[in-house]
Amino acid sequence: MKLLLVGEYREGRLLDITAELMGFAAAIGGEASLFLVGSAEEVPAFNGTLYLVDAKVYGEYNPEVHKQLLLKAVQEENPDLVVFVHSSYGWDLAPRLAASLKVAQVSEVIGFAGNAYEVGCCNAKMHRNVTPLTSKAVITIQAGAFPALQEGGTPVVKVLSTDVASTTEFVGYEPAEARDVNLAKAEIVVSAGRGIGKKENIEVIRSLAKAFGGELGASRPVVDAGWIDHGHQVGSTGQTVTPKLYVACGISGSIQHLAGMKKSGFILAINKDKDAPIGEVADVLVVADLLQFVPALTAKLS
Amino acid sequence: MKILVCIKQVPDMESPFRPNGSATWFDESDLAFRMNEYDEYAVEEAVRLKEQLGGEPEITVLSIGPDRVIEAIKKALAIGCDRAVHILEPEVASREPWQIASIIAAYARDKQFDLLFTGMQSQDRGSAQVGVLVAELLGIPSTTTLVGFAWADGVVTATRELEGGVKGKVRLRTPALVTCQLGLNSPRYPTLPNIMKARKKEITTLQAGELSSEKPLTGSAAFRHPEKKGSGVVLEGSVDELVEKVLVILKDKTAVLR
Amino acid sequence: MDATREIYWNVGHGVVAVMYLLTIAAVSGAAFGFKERLEIWRQGKPLDRFDRRGDRAQRMLATVFGQTRVFRVKDGGVFHSLFFWGFLTLLAGTMLIMVQADFLLPLFRVTILKGNFYRYFSLVLDLAGLVAIVMLGGLFVRRFLIKPKGLETVADDYRIHALLFTILITGFLIEGSRMAVTELKQNPDLALWSPVGYVFAQALSSLGDGALPGLHKVLWWFHLLLGLGFISVIPRTKLRHILTTSGNSFLAPFEPKGTIGTINLEDESIEQFGASKITDLTWKDLFDSDACTSCKRCQDRCPAYSTDKPLSPMKVIKAIGSVAETSPKKGLVEAVTADALWSCTTCGACQDICPANIEHVNKILEMRRNLTLMEGEFPGDEVRTATSNIEVNGNPFGMAYASRGDWAKGLPVSIMQENSDVDILYFAGCYASFDRRNREVAAKFLRICAAAGVKVGILGKEEKCCGEPVRKLGNEYLYQMVAAENIETIKGYKVKRIVTTCPHCFNTLSRDYRDLKFDVPVEHYSTFINRLIVEKRLKLKPEPFEFTYHDSCYLGRYKDIFEEPRAVLKSAGGKLTEMSRSGYDSFCCSAGGGRIFAEEKLGSRINVKRVAMASETGMPILASNCPFCLTMFEDGIKTGGFEGKLKVRDLAEIVAERIEK
Ligand SMILES: Cc1cc2nc3c(=O)[nH]c(=O)nc-3n(C[C@H](O)[C@H](O)[C@H](O)COP(=O)(O)OP(=O)(O)OC[C@H]3O[C@@H](n4cnc5c(N)ncnc54)[C@H](O)[C@@H]3O)c2cc1C
Ligand code: SF4
Ligand code: SF4
Repeated sequence: MKLLLVGEYREGRLLDITAELMGFAAAIGGEASLFLVGSAEEVPAFNGTLYLVDAKVYGEYNPEVHKQLLLKAVQEENPDLVVFVHSSYGWDLAPRLAASLKVAQVSEVIGFAGNAYEVGCCNAKMHRNVTPLTSKAVITIQAGAFPALQEGGTPVVKVLSTDVASTTEFVGYEPAEARDVNLAKAEIVVSAGRGIGKKENIEVIRSLAKAFGGELGASRPVVDAGWIDHGHQVGSTGQTVTPKLYVACGISGSIQHLAGMKKSGFILAINKDKDAPIGEVADVLVVADLLQFVPALTAKLS
Repeated sequence: MKILVCIKQVPDMESPFRPNGSATWFDESDLAFRMNEYDEYAVEEAVRLKEQLGGEPEITVLSIGPDRVIEAIKKALAIGCDRAVHILEPEVASREPWQIASIIAAYARDKQFDLLFTGMQSQDRGSAQVGVLVAELLGIPSTTTLVGFAWADGVVTATRELEGGVKGKVRLRTPALVTCQLGLNSPRYPTLPNIMKARKKEITTLQAGELSSEKPLTGSAAFRHPEKKGSGVVLEGSVDELVEKVLVILKDKTAVLR
Repeated sequence: MDATREIYWNVGHGVVAVMYLLTIAAVSGAAFGFKERLEIWRQGKPLDRFDRRGDRAQRMLATVFGQTRVFRVKDGGVFHSLFFWGFLTLLAGTMLIMVQADFLLPLFRVTILKGNFYRYFSLVLDLAGLVAIVMLGGLFVRRFLIKPKGLETVADDYRIHALLFTILITGFLIEGSRMAVTELKQNPDLALWSPVGYVFAQALSSLGDGALPGLHKVLWWFHLLLGLGFISVIPRTKLRHILTTSGNSFLAPFEPKGTIGTINLEDESIEQFGASKITDLTWKDLFDSDACTSCKRCQDRCPAYSTDKPLSPMKVIKAIGSVAETSPKKGLVEAVTADALWSCTTCGACQDICPANIEHVNKILEMRRNLTLMEGEFPGDEVRTATSNIEVNGNPFGMAYASRGDWAKGLPVSIMQENSDVDILYFAGCYASFDRRNREVAAKFLRICAAAGVKVGILGKEEKCCGEPVRKLGNEYLYQMVAAENIETIKGYKVKRIVTTCPHCFNTLSRDYRDLKFDVPVEHYSTFINRLIVEKRLKLKPEPFEFTYHDSCYLGRYKDIFEEPRAVLKSAGGKLTEMSRSGYDSFCCSAGGGRIFAEEKLGSRINVKRVAMASETGMPILASNCPFCLTMFEDGIKTGGFEGKLKVRDLAEIVAERIEK
C-alpha cells in the first residue's frame, strides 16, 4: 500500500503531530511519502519522498493553493491512501482533496481492520467501521490514536510549486489567552465538565482540586459558558495534560476532551451516566451525582 | 444578499443508541431528535448577519431527511430564517457525506447564494466533510471551524479555532462557505411571535433523488458500543461507600495520596 | 323630660341649604377624583368581573362589614377592624340624624330619634366614637412609635391620622358643648346616655352659657367642613382604599385558585404575549394597585422578601400603580425589575393574606410571559438548559425520554402501552421518574397501592413533564406543547382516575389542563391514601413517631388540602408538632414557580430557612408531600447543617413502612 502523509507546520514550526502520521503508516504497513507545507530548514527525519512546499511563499493556511500542490504530489506519487491528521488543518484540507479526486474520505480514524476504518460517532458513544468504496481514499486520523514514531533517516526532497492564485487571505494568528494556571505541569488535575450544571458549582470542583492539592481544569463547554476562563480548558483546543491523577467530574469524555488528558497516569471519572464514554479511558468510573459525591470526597480528603 | 444555511437533525446525544438491523447506523426508535448543535450556531450567525444588514439578506434554510426534520427546519425559521427547503430523503442515514454534499450542491448550484453557513460537523456522524465538499462542488472558497465571523463589503473575515487555544484569522471574498464551531455565538431562544410567524413561512419540498444520483463513496458497518479498554472499574452504590472505595484505590494505585 | 334633642340646635335650620350644597360639592369632588382614577384603570385590557353579581355583592358585604380579611392578621388588623366598625357606626348615626331632621320630620312629621331608641342611639354612638378614637390611637402608636419593619409611612399617613383624629374629637366637643348648655342641668338623666359627651360637657361647662353657643357654632362648622373634606379627599389619598379595597372584594375572581389565563396560541392576531406595558395588563390589575392599602402583609409573608431577594409583592403592586399613574409608556420590567420577577416562587402566600384581594401572582406571571415569550430570556443558563431539555426529551434533566419508565422495572405497576386495564393512572412526573430520592417515594407509593389492591398503570416513556415549571416561568408555548401531548396520550386510554405524588402535576392536570379540554378526575396521593385508609382498604400497623409537617404551597394554599395528609400521618402513628408557620401560613420550600430549575443566586436560601423552622419544633422528622419540597429539604438539611438533627421523609415512605402484612 502506498501512503501519502500530509504533515503539519504552524507558526514557523514543524508540528509533533506529524510523527503520529508516521506511527500510523508503520502500523498499517506501507510505503510512506510525506507532503509538507513547511520549510527546508526543518524537515522530518524519515526515509522516503518528501514533497515540500515553501510555507513562506504559499502560506501556512491556504487551502485552495495547498490543495493544488497536494494534487501534484498525488499525481506524482499515485498513493492508495492520503492520510491527514484530524485537526483544524486536516479536516479543512482533506475534503477538498477528496472532492477533487472524487474518492472516499473517512474522518477521524482510530483503528483499522483490513480495508475498514474504525471511527467514533454519536459523540464517541458508539463506534462503527467505514469502508472506502473507491480504489483510492483520503482519511484523517484522530490525534493521539496512533503512537508517534520518530523513524530517523533522510528524505528525498521534491519541491513543489504552483501559480494558482489563492482565494483566501490569511491575516494572522491570535495567540491563546494568557493562562493563570499551569495545567501542563500539574501532578493532579481535577476538571469540571458540563455535568456541573451551572457556574456556581465550579466551586465544588475547585474545593476538590484544593483538597487534592491540584489544579482546576475544565471541559470546553464550561469554558465556553464563561464559567471559567480558557486557561483551564483541557482538550484538543485547550491544553494537553499528563498529570499523575486526572479527575473528570461530569465530563462525558468526548474525543476532543480525551485528546487532552488520556495520557494521564490514573483517570478517575465521576459521572451519573454509567455508559458515558469517559468510562472507556477511566481507570475508575464512579457512577454518582457529582454534586453529592464530590463534596463527600472533598470532606474526607481535608 | 442571499444566504443558505444547511442544518441537520440529529438524535439527542443522551439517547440510548442501538444498531439498526444491518448495523450500518442506529435504530431510530426511542431516539429524541433535535437540531445539530453546530448548525444552531450556523443559523444564529446567519440571522445576526441579516440583522446587521437591516434585514436585507434572504436566508434559506435547508435540511435533508425524512419528515421529522421539519421540526428542526421550523426552529431555524423561528430563529429568523426566511424560507426553507426540505429535501425529502427517508433513507438519509444511508447517505454518506459525499452524497449529502452532492444533493446540497445540486440544489444551490443555480441559486446564486452569496454565503453558505453549515455546522463544522454533525454530532452523530462527526465527519466534518459536508460543508467543505459543498463549497468544492460549487467551486467557491470556504473555511472551517469558525469561532468568529464578520462580514463587510463582500468580504468575510473568519476567525478559525486551531489547536492549543490559538486562533487563525482569514479573509475570503463572497460567494463563500463557512462552517461553524461551538463558541461562535450563543443561539437565541426563539420568541413566540417568531415561532408563530415561522408557521407561515414557505417550506419547499424537493426529492433528494431528483437532485443527485451520486453513488456512495463509503460503506458503513458494525455500528456498536465500543469495547471498554484498560483497567476500567465501574463503581456504584451509596455516596459514602463510593468515597471509601475510591480512597482505597487511589492510595493503592497512585502516588499522589499518602 | 322627653328623651330627644333639637337637631340643628344653635346653628339653626337655615344651614340646611348651605350644608347640602357643600355636601354635593364634596361628593362631586370625590366623584370627579374617582373619575380621574377611572381613566387610569381604563388603560388596562378588558376583563369581565361583573358576572355573578349576586354572589359578588354577597361576598363584598361579608368581607367589608365582617372585616374578615382584615381581621386575619391581628397586628394592625384588630385596630383597623374596630376602628372601621366604630367609624362606620358614627357615619350611620350621622346619616340617621340627617334622615330624621331633613326628611322624616319636615316631610312626614315623624320623629324616631326619641325615647328609648334615642337613648340607645346616643349610647351606641358615643361608645362607637370612643372605640374609634382609641383604635386610631392604637394605629397611631403602631405606625409612628412602634414602626413595624417594612411599614412605609408617607406624608398621607400623617394627614389622614390628623384628619380622622380631629373629626372624632370635634365630634365629641360639639356634643359636649351642646350638652353643657342643653342637657347637663336640664336633662341630666338623658345626659348619662352619652357618657363620653357627658365627660366633655362637664369639662366645657365652666366656659359658661355665654361662650358655649359661640364655640359650638364654630366647632359645628369646622366638623362639617372636615367631614366633607374627608369625603372629597378619598380618591386622592390612601383613603381611596375605602372604596377600592371594598370594591375588590366584589371584583375578586371566582375561578379556582391558581387559574392562569390560557393563551390561545392559534390566534394569529396576538402581537404581545404577557405584559410589557401597563396596557397589556387588565384594568383589574391596575385597579388592584389602587386597592392596595400598603399594609405590607404580603411582603411579611413572602419567602423571597424574607430571604433578602429583590422582590416584595407589595412593591410590585405599587410599581405597577405608579407606572400606570405617572408614566404609562414605561416598561413594566424596568419598573419592577427582572430579578424581582424571577425571584417569585408563586407560593401564593401574598395573595392568600392580602386584605384587599389583590392578585399578585398572575401579574408576575404576565410579566414573566413577556420576558420569556417576547424576549427569550431566562433567569439563568441552567434554566435555559432545563427548558431545552424538556423540549427535546420531555424532562428537565435531559435524560433520554425512552428511559422515563425505567424506574418502575420490577415494581407492581403496568405500563399503559402494554396493559391499560388499571384502576388508576399514576402520573409520576419528572422527579419520581428520574431523581433517585424521589424514585424511592414512587416505589413506596406503588407498594401502598398494591397493598390496597389498587391496580396502577404508568405512561412510562409516553409521559412528559406536565409543563408546570415552564408555565410558571412564563413559557406558555412549551407548556401547551407538552400538555397537549400528555392529554392526547392519556385520552388514548380509558383512564378513570389519575393520581399524582406531585402537587405541581396535581394542580396542572386537575386545573390548568381543564382549559385544554381535559376532564379526567385527578387526585393527589395524600387524599387518595387517606381514602384507602378510611375505607379500610389499606390497613396500617401504626408505629409511633413524632414529626412536623410541611404544607406544600400547591397542596395547601392552592388546593385547600390540609387535613387529609395530617390524618394519614396520624393514622400511621404520628404525633404532630406544627411549625410556627403552617396551613395557609405555610412557608415555601423555594422550588415553586419554576425556581426548581434555577440557582438561588440572590439573598439567602429559602429552603434553609424553612428547614430551620422545622428544626425549631425539635421534631426529628419533617414530613413532606411533594417531590420538589423533598428535594429542597434534603438540600437544605445538608447545606444548612441540620444533618443528624432532622430527616425529611415523604408521606408515602412513612405509610409504606407501616403497611399491615
Ligand atoms: C473542534 C473541536 C474542538 C474541541 N475542543 C475541545 C477541548 O479542547 N476540550 C474539551 O473539553 N472539549 C472540546 N470540544 C468539545 C467536545 O466535543 C465536547 O462537546 C465537550 O468536551 C463536552 O464536554 P463535557 O464532557 O463537559 O460535556 P457533556 O458532553 O455534555 O457531558 C456532560 C457529562 O456530565 C455528566 N453529568 C451530568 N450531570 C451530572 C451530575 N450531576 N453528576 C455527574 N455527572 C453528570 C453527563 O452524564 C455527561 O456525561 C471540542 C469540539 C470540537 C468540535
Ligand atoms: S407568590 Fe410567594 S414568592 Fe411570589 S411574591 Fe407572592 S409571596 Fe412572594
Ligand atoms: S398588596 Fe395586599 S397585602 Fe400587600 S400591601 Fe397591598 S393590601 Fe397589603
